Amino acid sequence: MRRITEHPILTFEQGRKITFTFDGKTIEGREGDTIASALQAAGIRVYRESIEMHRPRGFFCAIGRCANCSMIVDGVPNTKVCVTRLREGVVVETQRGRGGVRRD
Amino acid sequence: MAMINTEILVIGGGPAGLCAAAEAAEHGAKVLLVDDKDVLGGQLIKQTHRFFGSRQQYAGVRGIDIAKILIENAREFGVELTTGATATAIYGDGVVAAATDDGFLKVRPEKIIAATGAYENMLAFPNSDLPGVYGAGAVQTLMNVNGVAPGNRVLMIGAGNIGLIVAYQLLQAGIGVAAVIEITDRVGGYYVHANKIRRLGVPILLRHTVKYAWGGEGVEGAAIARVDERYRPIPGTERDLAVDTICLSVGLTPLTELLWNAGCGMKYIAQLGGHVAWHDENMRTSREDIYVAGDASGIEEASSAMIEGKVAGLNAAYALKRDIGLSKKNYEGCLEDYREQLCQLRRGPFGEKARRGKSALMGAPIPADRPIKSTPVPDEEFQKGARVVIECEQNIPCDPCEATCPHGAITVGEDMVNYPLLDAGKCNACGICVASCPGLALFVLNRDYSQTETEIILPYEFIPVPNKGDRVDACDREGNVVCRARVSRAVKSKKFDRTALVSLVVEDRYADVVRSFRISGIVPETGRIEKPDMSRVDEMDTIICVCEDVTRRRIEEAIDRDGAQSMDEIKRLLRCGMGPCQGKTCQRLIMQILAKKLNRNIEEFKPQTYRGPMKPVSLGLLAKADDEEEN
Amino acid sequence: MKKKTDVVIIGGGVIGTSIAYSLAKNGVTDVVLVERDTLSCGATGRCAGGIRQQWSEPSNVRLARASIEIFKNFREEMGRDIGLVEGGYLLCAHAEEEAERFRETVAMQRKVGADVRIVTPEEMRDIAPCLNTDGMILGAYCPDDCHADPFQVTQGYAENARRLGVDIELHTEVTEIRKKGKRVAAVVTNGGKIECNWVVNAAGGHSAEVGAMAGVDLPTKSYRHQIAVTEPIRRIQEPLIVDFYVNIYFCQTAHGSFMMGYGDEAEKPGHNVRGTWQFLEEISRRLTGLVPALKDISVVRQWAGLYNMSPDAQPILGRVSDEVENFICAVGFSGHGFMLAPITGVLMAELITYGETRTLPIDELSIKRFEGGVKSAEANVV
Ligand SMILES: Cc1cc2nc3c(=O)[nH]c(=O)nc-3n(C[C@H](O)[C@H](O)[C@H](O)COP(=O)(O)OP(=O)(O)OC[C@H]3O[C@@H](n4cnc5c(N)ncnc54)[C@H](O)[C@@H]3O)c2cc1C
Ligand SMILES: Cc1cc2nc3c(=O)[nH]c(=O)nc-3n(C[C@H](O)[C@H](O)[C@H](O)COP(=O)(O)OP(=O)(O)OC[C@H]3O[C@@H](n4cnc5c(N)ncnc54)[C@H](O)[C@@H]3O)c2cc1C
Ligand code: SF4
Ligand code: SF4
Ligand code: FES
Repeated sequence: MRRITEHPILTFEQGRKITFTFDGKTIEGREGDTIASALQAAGIRVYRESIEMHRPRGFFCAIGRCANCSMIVDGVPNTKVCVTRLREGVVVETQRGRGGVRRD
Repeated sequence: MAMINTEILVIGGGPAGLCAAAEAAEHGAKVLLVDDKDVLGGQLIKQTHRFFGSRQQYAGVRGIDIAKILIENAREFGVELTTGATATAIYGDGVVAAATDDGFLKVRPEKIIAATGAYENMLAFPNSDLPGVYGAGAVQTLMNVNGVAPGNRVLMIGAGNIGLIVAYQLLQAGIGVAAVIEITDRVGGYYVHANKIRRLGVPILLRHTVKYAWGGEGVEGAAIARVDERYRPIPGTERDLAVDTICLSVGLTPLTELLWNAGCGMKYIAQLGGHVAWHDENMRTSREDIYVAGDASGIEEASSAMIEGKVAGLNAAYALKRDIGLSKKNYEGCLEDYREQLCQLRRGPFGEKARRGKSALMGAPIPADRPIKSTPVPDEEFQKGARVVIECEQNIPCDPCEATCPHGAITVGEDMVNYPLLDAGKCNACGICVASCPGLALFVLNRDYSQTETEIILPYEFIPVPNKGDRVDACDREGNVVCRARVSRAVKSKKFDRTALVSLVVEDRYADVVRSFRISGIVPETGRIEKPDMSRVDEMDTIICVCEDVTRRRIEEAIDRDGAQSMDEIKRLLRCGMGPCQGKTCQRLIMQILAKKLNRNIEEFKPQTYRGPMKPVSLGLLAKADDEEEN
Repeated sequence: MKKKTDVVIIGGGVIGTSIAYSLAKNGVTDVVLVERDTLSCGATGRCAGGIRQQWSEPSNVRLARASIEIFKNFREEMGRDIGLVEGGYLLCAHAEEEAERFRETVAMQRKVGADVRIVTPEEMRDIAPCLNTDGMILGAYCPDDCHADPFQVTQGYAENARRLGVDIELHTEVTEIRKKGKRVAAVVTNGGKIECNWVVNAAGGHSAEVGAMAGVDLPTKSYRHQIAVTEPIRRIQEPLIVDFYVNIYFCQTAHGSFMMGYGDEAEKPGHNVRGTWQFLEEISRRLTGLVPALKDISVVRQWAGLYNMSPDAQPILGRVSDEVENFICAVGFSGHGFMLAPITGVLMAELITYGETRTLPIDELSIKRFEGGVKSAEANVV
């Protein structure tokens, strides 16, 4: 996928670059991104595996309602990345089946 | 977080909520508005097109800009605006809880106005759970708010206004649209919207449905087919499309879970999009402290949402215990004015749904629709000279053309749904109206441009805008290239607000044919289709509940074998709707399956029992909530 | 709907359906079960599904043990997976006084045959690695205890009862019970009248109301009891944990969600089943105190159901009055009717089929025990 840099009606400020990791890989997003939009811009569509049939799932509603986009973010499972702002250095992981908890 | 006391709590910051809050605050009430998004404006913040409706409700202005006006208004009247706060339940003691990123708020209001809008209906088909199948709202959010393309080539499902508008917005963002398909035999949205995308070459296929999608990690293609009169795919009509995105635009359902949860009386009204809270003309529900407005009270338009918001805000303020200084006379005056405006908006064929729906809900007679003037412009008489051509031939609530013509050449009349009529003698072909029309349905033709040529002024909302002297491919109303054309003028003016006026010079014989043009490269070409063997795809394997991975087969079994007859029973047996989405995706589909299998009407089925919190809230956040009173 | 039948069972919860199934199994198949809404819509569908033997009253231990046997064979007998998690029950003691009581009841429970033992805080952490044992002196652990999905259990009973010939009438509410002399002659419902030889009151939270229809004053009262559930996560906890001191119980279901609740002393009797925000906050405080690792996990739903309490927190089984000989009650389960349902079904069916119970005596649970006041109440109730 790609970012829309020019648009007849809208202007998108190409904000400051923000780097984060997705399943160990370093990825670049922009200030103002949600984690989902940053992943989408980087061409990543699969965010999790469904809990029973392990099917690939991405995002669907983009407004935090469907929970399709649940990922593990900084160790927290079931984080809806479509409504989670991208932060510098955030660690994002594909959620396979049910998420786990940290035991620290 | 502490307990907040307020007089009026508005839930939802779309056009309905913002107007409700501003209205109540204007009359002196203390108002708090919560919205779950970071940005206020609801649906408006994704709408790049000019709005229809009446000028009082900012018709002709782009949705994104209407949002700014409404937010400013609410702020000016002293509404306290809290973003990023999702109302999670209305409790028995009247307390409304709301979750934020770092707190669990409790609000104790005297009156509640629920303006929570709607959620999108899901359509399930084999592989509809693949990444790349999105709701139209998601596509809009990604592309118009986040500035990220959802894909490269899209299949749009549904030719209602939303499907048509989003298809157009996709093209504006430089994304290809393979087709818009529609299962019924007519375009449900405004023809002017349909025409916009048709002339850009997007086919609108009526009586078509999607059979299945395919792909590994995401959508790689979709098979579509024609349907018969019972909406079943006709064998042999199947066709494959190479698309990486499928956009669903198959209707909206009022978001009413909080109202169910609060125990408001509910009623299923098909014309309003599903179950809505019973309400009276003052937008008050069966609970006297709870009001509704906007799409949450029945799917309509932003313009009616705004007025309903005002009605709700006015009434909630007037009903407060404290004397806020709103006189009976003032109250009644405002109310009458708003009711008249609502009446106006609900006229004509497109207002019929709302008219019938609201009457059915309130048990009132359907208001008579006054006769509508609908004489189309006799274009045949116009074979010489220069003037505007109006290609707006439906009774839609819209009138910016009338307002913008400096010479008073266009008349819609008191009734917004009338056709615009041209007084040809008054039109001097200035083109000002062309840029103001939300339907992009006005074109200026100068047949006297030269002996053999006509100049056509076209509205243009794409980039790049061609320059004078450029040559472009001129297209007809279906988007077919008919000839080459020379650009004689290209005007980008601030007063036209991002709509460019591009003048093309074509041979006279194309004057009534050419309605758009193409700078090659806008619509990406179709690639070769690579498709895995899909011969064994089974409709019964369609995943209906995505949270819990429940297939159509299991739901049908629960009905046939286990005797389930309601949403609640299916939920208990299969966990559908118990997942984190609380049934927002699957519920309507399951009710459809129930209705079909049990041969009953969908309105006989109640949604599952809604239980807070409507949005998952972390234990940690709840644990640190404190219960101090705050004023 | 039938106009005449042998047995009418009022209530489509786990108790009513279990009785229906056992009756049919005994060959009494001319049975109509009436439920005013849907199966499991009452306490059954709202309960935590816990099944334990660790009770302070020997009779409860015995009943629970008999039930557990049936739960463990459920799948085989009924052909339905009931989401049984055989993770045991872990009870936590904070004060010395409580610890002493634990030691005593464990001794009693062992005598009755339960595999229960006292465990140290260290052992408790082995059993439940995420449990914060700060301030705990010891625990009582029974690996044999378990929890299961109440919907599936009820559905299993219902479908097997139906298979054997029982009629289940949903959306049918009993509004009146007609008597002839010292016998019930018919029940009147919104769907018509049914003449019958026996009426079974399995109306859960409405047991007293149904009792009153038959002219019996049952000493049961209903109290709201709240519960909440989280999104599913990977398994981190096997046992259902009860902490009487903190006042909480919680378990991780087969599906992965955490389910938790507590009893609120301040509740007044009634039929209110709305959840409160106070409960939501309080349960979260208590749970994250005991299992801090859960702090980032989200609650997806809260609800409430009715505990149908009897004066000594033990069920009332069998005939309840000499004035109505053929009116049988299985009521007042006081928050543990799910786990007692399998054996209750067996016993009530025996009573109707043979005129007496055969598997276990139920004299201790007869309403007669309250004559002259409550003697010994069940203490291990949350
Ligand atoms: C593509 C498209 C094009 C459209 N074009 C037009 C047009 O040209 N003209 C026109 O008049 N109308 C148009 N509409 C319709 C119009 O946008 C809607 O009818 C209008 O936005 C409804 O307003 P609302 O305030 O009721 O709901 P919304 O705008 O949906 O606002 C509801 C708000 O409430 C928030 N919310 C919901 N639940 C909660 C909660 N529990 N806690 C806190 N906040 C919550 C939502 O996030 C949202 O911000 C269009 C709609 C779409 C999708
Ligand atoms: C929050 C909570 C947690 C619990 N946790 C546990 C636990 O972990 N372990 C455990 O063993 N127990 C637990 N319980 C207790 C357990 O749920 C009940 O004891 C058990 O479900 C009782 O079953 P029942 O069939 O008697 O009642 P119900 O399930 O309430 O069924 C009674 C039925 O009768 C119907 N009815 C009532 N009146 C009429 C009428 N007039 N006509 C027709 N139908 C009528 C009702 O609609 C209802 O469906 C819990 C209870 C609650 C509320
Ligand atoms: S072209 Fe100019 S004069 Fe003619 S109708 Fe439009 S605005 Fe009026
Ligand atoms: S011609 Fe007038 S009425 Fe028709 S869409 Fe354009 S502005 Fe609206
Ligand atoms: S995409 Fe629906 S919740 Fe994120």
